[in-house]
Amino acid sequence: MSSVPKVPENLRDVFMSLLPAHQALFRNVLVGLFFSVALLPSTASSLLREELNTIAVYEKVSSSVVNVVTTTVLYDFFYRPVPQEGAGSGVILSADGTIVTNYHVVRGAKAIEVRLADGSRWPAEVVGTAPEDDLAVIRIQAEGRDLVPISLGDSDALEVGQKIYALGNPFGLGQTLTAGHVSQLKRSIRDQGRVLEDLIQVDAAINPGNSGGALVDSQGRLVGINTAILSPTGTNVGIGFAIPVNRVKAAVPGMTSWWNKYLGYILAGLLAYWIWKRIARLR
Amino acid sequence: MNRWRKRWWMGVVTAACLLALACPQARALTEDEKNNIELYRQLSPGVVNITSTVLERDFFFNIVPRQGAGSGSIISEEGYILTNHHVIEDARKLEVTLANGKKYAAKFIGSDPNTDIAVIKIDAPKKDLVVIPMGSSRDLKVGQKVLAIGNPFGLGQTLTTGIISSVGRTLRSPGGALVEDVIQTDASINPGNSGGPLIDSSGKMIGVNTAIFSPTGANVGIGFAIPVDTVKQVVRELIEKGYYGYPWLGATLMTLFPDFAEALQLSVNRGAMIVEVVPGGPADKAGLRGGHARAQVGNYVLIVGGDVIVGIDGEPVDSADDLMRALRRYRPGNRVRLDVVHWEGDRDRVTVILGERPRRYRYR
Repeated sequence: MSSVPKVPENLRDVFMSLLPAHQALFRNVLVGLFFSVALLPSTASSLLREELNTIAVYEKVSSSVVNVVTTTVLYDFFYRPVPQEGAGSGVILSADGTIVTNYHVVRGAKAIEVRLADGSRWPAEVVGTAPEDDLAVIRIQAEGRDLVPISLGDSDALEVGQKIYALGNPFGLGQTLTAGHVSQLKRSIRDQGRVLEDLIQVDAAINPGNSGGALVDSQGRLVGINTAILSPTGTNVGIGFAIPVNRVKAAVPGMTSWWNKYLGYILAGLLAYWIWKRIARLR
Repeated sequence: MNRWRKRWWMGVVTAACLLALACPQARALTEDEKNNIELYRQLSPGVVNITSTVLERDFFFNIVPRQGAGSGSIISEEGYILTNHHVIEDARKLEVTLANGKKYAAKFIGSDPNTDIAVIKIDAPKKDLVVIPMGSSRDLKVGQKVLAIGNPFGLGQTLTTGIISSVGRTLRSPGGALVEDVIQTDASINPGNSGGPLIDSSGKMIGVNTAIFSPTGANVGIGFAIPVDTVKQVVRELIEKGYYGYPWLGATLMTLFPDFAEALQLSVNRGAMIVEVVPGGPADKAGLRGGHARAQVGNYVLIVGGDVIVGIDGEPVDSADDLMRALRRYRPGNRVRLDVVHWEGDRDRVTVILGERPRRYRYR
């Protein structure tokens, strides 16, 4: 039998009896309390509420965004192989090491290396790709590390003017946070003959290397994957595009499922079987 | 009765209109906007435009003056102005324009190319000089708001805002030296912003805008500022002496990699190996020895036989860069204890009194 601390039954009565006699005092205390609570954050750290929010977002999200370094092999004039490094970003989706990035980041890569926010490096393999959405899923086996998956938001609830933050690895510089607003929703852009639809347009600084990085809202939830920019110079001019997270949510299960790897073989087998039947019938 | 009521209503409506006219701004602005406006009003008079005239020779060897624009911030009531070394480099004439439009010829006080910091001085009346207070760059957080005031492309008194994108980056200055703990920001910083202050939301200078990363030459959202803690240290000496004295060991160092150490059969496998000591320099006086023989390891020709420095004041040293970085925390005249492994294999602890880097080495 555990003893429960007993509340005196007349406590409430005692409290209420205080009220009429000292109502004015009580109100003053209440008002004072309210103001001191409201002013507390600003006096404690001298940072604005918005800054505190941004700092909190960075601290929440930064360990979930990784740098992706790829090695592709190009051939020079004499057809000698020349290894070339490319930089991109990625977002950790689950604690088992599943990372989503852009397809154009890992396209043609001979080797992929993932650098976590703590500086450690891990080799990664491509699990699945969705070129039509410019998405790819890679996986690392990071033993002894607690990978922090990012929390997913809802990109359908986005509004133009909302504050957003982009995290990534521009020009391979390393973890970089930039801030901006949603400029427009449901944009379509044409990129190398392929049309990407229903994108989020933002004015946060997004540069080459930010590709595959996280676009998060002011609560630190993933709302998009930074993918492309519109620019005559190839660098940021204030027009960046991100794939909405709802598309990522829809595409990732298909990319990570076990049969995805064999889908092509299965379809090719069916086709071969069908052709074989036709030939057999003709004979 | 009816008329009185009408009048009363009229009074109410007029009062409401007056109120609405009097404080539309106070109501319509967010906390963030108010903060920006307040800081700009307070601090923009402390930011100056610097026009430097450099003499160049054209194709026909005629002397042609060329003008460059930069920014600076007033750091004391005596008229000292902080700017970048690359803004005033090689300038024949320096002209400072205050925010109120007054122009002054400026005097060069001192500069340090390694950290890209320079100080100039104008003789202006005290009432025209608004000092920008210096804060601290130690406890900066990624995500914090920053304001940059400057003179981009010669467009004076431009305010741009952004956030701190990262801290602790290392940047190579135009002088070739490494500046550490550089602040990266996404506030628009363009050519001409150089030398201007980076300000936090409480109105304190936290950095000096210095460089941008950009393939195009204009802002892409990646700007760098030298942290104010470094600035404070350097500025004090620039005003006193005209230059910043760097601690100097007086030895040429080489990183000892494990495979070199293995090939040379040394008893240590990491450290900073002394290639050469400057005769009469601090290392020489302390009895450290440089190399005396050549050895080939793979494709490399090494000068071997020198002491290997493996520790500084109890801290391990893994490479020449490590040692240089550690040395930067000291001042000329300080004593440091170096853990040394001699070529013969015996360990030793040597006390070196650091010198000041000679002037002819200063630009390295």
